[in-house]
Amino acid sequence: MATTPVSRRLPAQAGELIDRSRPLAFRWDGRRYVGLEGDTIVSALLANGVDVFSRSFKYSRPRGVLTGSFVDPGCTVQVGDEPNVRGAHRRLEAGMDVRPQNVWPSLRFDVKSANRLVGRFLTAGFYYKTFIKPQRLWPAYQQVLSRFASGGVTSEQNVHGYYDKRYVHVDVVVAGAGPAGMSAALAAADTGASVLLVEEEYELGGHLRYSGEQSLSTLSDLRAQVAARPSIEVMTDAVVTGRYDDNWVAVLQRHIGGAVERLVKVRAGVLVAAPGLIERPYVFDGNDLPGVMLSTAVRRLINLYAVEPGERAVVLTANGDGDAAVADLTRVGVDVVGVVDGRAGETIRRATGRGRLQAVELEDGTVLPADLLVTATGWTAPTSLLNMAGDRPVWNVTAARFVPSGTDLPSTVLATGGVVGDGGPEDLMAHGRAVGTLAGERAQGRAGGTVPTLPCAPHPAMFRASTHGFVDFSEDVSSKEVVAAAKEGYDSSELVKRFTTATMGPSQGKLETINTIAVLSEATGRAIEDLGTTVWRPPYAPISLGALAGRVFEPTRVSPMQGWHEQHGAVPLLAGQWIRPDHYGDAAREARNVRENVGIIDVTPLGKLELNGPDVPQLLNLVYVNKWSKLAVGSVRYGVMCAEDGVVMDDGVTGRLADDRYLMSTTSSGAATVWEWLENWLQTAHPDWQVHVTPVTTAYASINVAGPKSRELMQRVVEGRDLSTEAFGYMQVREGRIAGVADCVLWRIGFTGELSYELHVPASYGLHVWEELLEAGDDLGIRAFGVEAQRILRLEKGHLIVAQDTDGLTRAHSAGLGGIVKLDKDDFAGKPELAWHERFALATAPRLVALQPVDPTAVPPEASQIVTPEGDILGRITSSRMSPALGHGVCLAQVDPAVSAAGTVVTIRLPGGGDIAATVQEDLAFVDPEGVRLRA
Amino acid sequence: MARSPITVSGPRSVVHGWEVSTRRSAAALRLSDASPLAKVSVRADADGALADALGVRFRGSRREDGVLVIGSGPGEWLLVGRVGMAPEIAEKVRGQGEGEFATIVDLTHGRALMRLSGRDAARTLAKVCAVDLSDDLTPDGAAFRTSVAKVATDVVRDDAGGGAGESSYLLHCERSSGQYLFDCLLDAGMEFGVEPAGPHLNQDEPAR
Repeated sequence: MATTPVSRRLPAQAGELIDRSRPLAFRWDGRRYVGLEGDTIVSALLANGVDVFSRSFKYSRPRGVLTGSFVDPGCTVQVGDEPNVRGAHRRLEAGMDVRPQNVWPSLRFDVKSANRLVGRFLTAGFYYKTFIKPQRLWPAYQQVLSRFASGGVTSEQNVHGYYDKRYVHVDVVVAGAGPAGMSAALAAADTGASVLLVEEEYELGGHLRYSGEQSLSTLSDLRAQVAARPSIEVMTDAVVTGRYDDNWVAVLQRHIGGAVERLVKVRAGVLVAAPGLIERPYVFDGNDLPGVMLSTAVRRLINLYAVEPGERAVVLTANGDGDAAVADLTRVGVDVVGVVDGRAGETIRRATGRGRLQAVELEDGTVLPADLLVTATGWTAPTSLLNMAGDRPVWNVTAARFVPSGTDLPSTVLATGGVVGDGGPEDLMAHGRAVGTLAGERAQGRAGGTVPTLPCAPHPAMFRASTHGFVDFSEDVSSKEVVAAAKEGYDSSELVKRFTTATMGPSQGKLETINTIAVLSEATGRAIEDLGTTVWRPPYAPISLGALAGRVFEPTRVSPMQGWHEQHGAVPLLAGQWIRPDHYGDAAREARNVRENVGIIDVTPLGKLELNGPDVPQLLNLVYVNKWSKLAVGSVRYGVMCAEDGVVMDDGVTGRLADDRYLMSTTSSGAATVWEWLENWLQTAHPDWQVHVTPVTTAYASINVAGPKSRELMQRVVEGRDLSTEAFGYMQVREGRIAGVADCVLWRIGFTGELSYELHVPASYGLHVWEELLEAGDDLGIRAFGVEAQRILRLEKGHLIVAQDTDGLTRAHSAGLGGIVKLDKDDFAGKPELAWHERFALATAPRLVALQPVDPTAVPPEASQIVTPEGDILGRITSSRMSPALGHGVCLAQVDPAVSAAGTVVTIRLPGGGDIAATVQEDLAFVDPEGVRLRA
Repeated sequence: MARSPITVSGPRSVVHGWEVSTRRSAAALRLSDASPLAKVSVRADADGALADALGVRFRGSRREDGVLVIGSGPGEWLLVGRVGMAPEIAEKVRGQGEGEFATIVDLTHGRALMRLSGRDAARTLAKVCAVDLSDDLTPDGAAFRTSVAKVATDVVRDDAGGGAGESSYLLHCERSSGQYLFDCLLDAGMEFGVEPAGPHLNQDEPAR
């Protein structure tokens, strides 16, 4: 399509932000346009003669510019895949694909606009009252209503963009960089404080940016001073979204350092709120027509973007800013056909036009044809950050706006500028300097003086004309609905808010709060000061979920052999933070190879703690249920830990490497818990014991070598050690050199039921030793095996896994571990509970048994329930696999003692339906119950 | 042959028995792998004779005879020295204990060690670590243990290991999380132009 010629761009303006030498092509609603660098999306469109950007939420009314700022309710657009972009704030970029949102099927013709015809049935409460019954129809309602929901579209294919976070610790945060905020930052810096100055716009200055040449000169001076202070960090296009306890301040930074958005978490000594004022719309019939704008919108458009906002203007002014808008309009050649002075009691009645403003009707009935109506009827003080710090704003009758009470703030929160009071740039800067000095002094622990005041100027109380119009442009709530709500009994500001949804839309009360309360005041006859405001809570500005998520920090842990696993086709298994090889393609084959030849598995995640000191045996006796006093140097013992309630918390082996030096192994998932458990006992109960616990889980790469040929393999790589059964028997430990690597620990233990060795080698040499083993065992049929094969093998052998075959109620006896509980020990963790259990609960507590399904092809899924013929639960399958060695299913189960005797046939109910039978086995082990193989 | 838990791309060679990346960087912000350096953990009475001999308490660090002594916890130290120096460090500490109960463990292979140096090192770290890194609270020599990108990490500000006028931080964590932490720091430093580098194993300066 042809480019629309730029038609509404004015000649150069003193403070303009646009770069006329840099045109940017973009698309709007499928058509190509050209704007300028420095334009917002909306200013670029206005310059091209486009003045309708959206359809309203409920009645689908066309909407254009109202405030010309971030909060502008009619300027929300879709940019590419990004919905809800604030078009009057977002800078134009080359190639942007901008589309209207919330239109169906198009901006020009939206079927939802038919809602206007039935508008009187769509008043507040319509949804609540209409769609509640019958409940079964809700899915159908939902489908249609979602078409009417506000908001753009996102693609499910979207990837998480680059969002990140940053932490900042600073003496003073100044929220808002108008004349007061900049002055506060400078003054605080002059006290020696570090300062963070945060500004929502792309540049510093606030209203000085569009208030004439004198203001620009003042601004230029302020900017130079800020730039000259290295202790002031400036963030633009950033907004303080919340103040939390202890001055934890959240700042959202947009488009920074390659990130879409960044959430800055600031610990501030003192927070200075300097948000300025937000201009308040006026309520009258037609107040949402495109062409009706606030005075600040007009001044921004003319002075910052050199855009002509209209050709024939009527201005309703009740203050100096309205007068300044008249001056700006006149200066750039707009025909100002009427100035209505609110201070003289004058007002307008309504605005009319089809789709956009065509005429303004004054209170005396005069009709002025116009395409621009500018209103300047008062202000809203955005006291949000002060609310969040505990302040409840109070109504100032003279100024006709809420102001901070200033009485309930902590000493670490101050306010300056328009939010506090009125004045020219000099007054605002003076107040800012005084507040900034106080903030700097307080932040550095010096007393400082009292909080300086800034009085409010008188302003006419103008909220609504004699006609009704919108009080909430985001939610399409009219003043008539507020009146109706009051009649229905919703007569407080909080109730009206919830019933009408006024102030609940994207602009979050910044434009709507006062008008809503003023109309409510009118309807109820109660004074505004008695009604009070609703409470502003965080966030002050919208935050994307991406910013809250930030970078995805999910720590992962890998062994030194991870690269090898990946190169050899390992299918990864996520076990907590560890990435482990589940199998290398065929777990059953890997398991068979261990039974027939020799296999190696990477067991680095096994928890390992080095225990040093003369009192280690006392510690072991305390935390394990069995006895440790007589463990000889070079020996290893299996131990079970129970918590104080007798429930099994971990198991593993501990070996004595030297007189005062032990190596404890824990389960992979229990490593951190056991470390804390030991430290807890040592630090709180026995600080007198001489024991040091050093976590060495990843100091060693751990490899289990298992299978009938494992001794033959080990003899080839272990240097200077006799590995015969006589010299190095089952449950023994030695230190030495393996494959040329010193300081290795070699244990003769195993989990698979085969002859096996566990090697712990200094981790940096893990890959070296792993590869040496594979090379040395090539002719022995060596093969790496993964976690799945190990699970098959251990289940064939009947070894339990804590937290798989036990749960949060399983005491040692119920895990088949009663035999190693030594109640004749002096004391140990869990002893009283275990003693009670042995004496009173043994007959009724569940038991761990091995089950073999009668059908050899059946493998009941883990967690299948064991039931009586009546369907009562008697237990559950805790582990199950098909045994490649035996050719039938093998299971462990927790069962009621009534069905725990060997030979009992139990019924297993499968999760998908159907029952199978299984027989309780004599022993937990299916393979080698006598332990001949592992002791070989 | 020993290998670091951190993989740095670029040409490799074997130095002192370690296969390492020889990649160097002169960028304004560098993240280098320092894992092969000797790391010896010492546990003893926080205020005993050995503590006096080590000359530094929890939260501080100092350099002596080519060894960086870090007070990494109450009654807990980590001594970092040149590659292969662990037995020598352990032996020296053992001689200083005057019979008090102490544990000395070589953790060279149990910890990943990396160094972040440059003018924007603190700003980079502040993206993944909530601790106040200002000179007031974290001056040169400060040592602390905290969460960095959700990994329990020991951080030492050791400007002597960086370039002139730069901040420099040594970070170490459990070996298995080393690559993750290294990648997180590279990600955080991207906006400042961070470049990775292999270990400098031939320099006399400890932990450089």
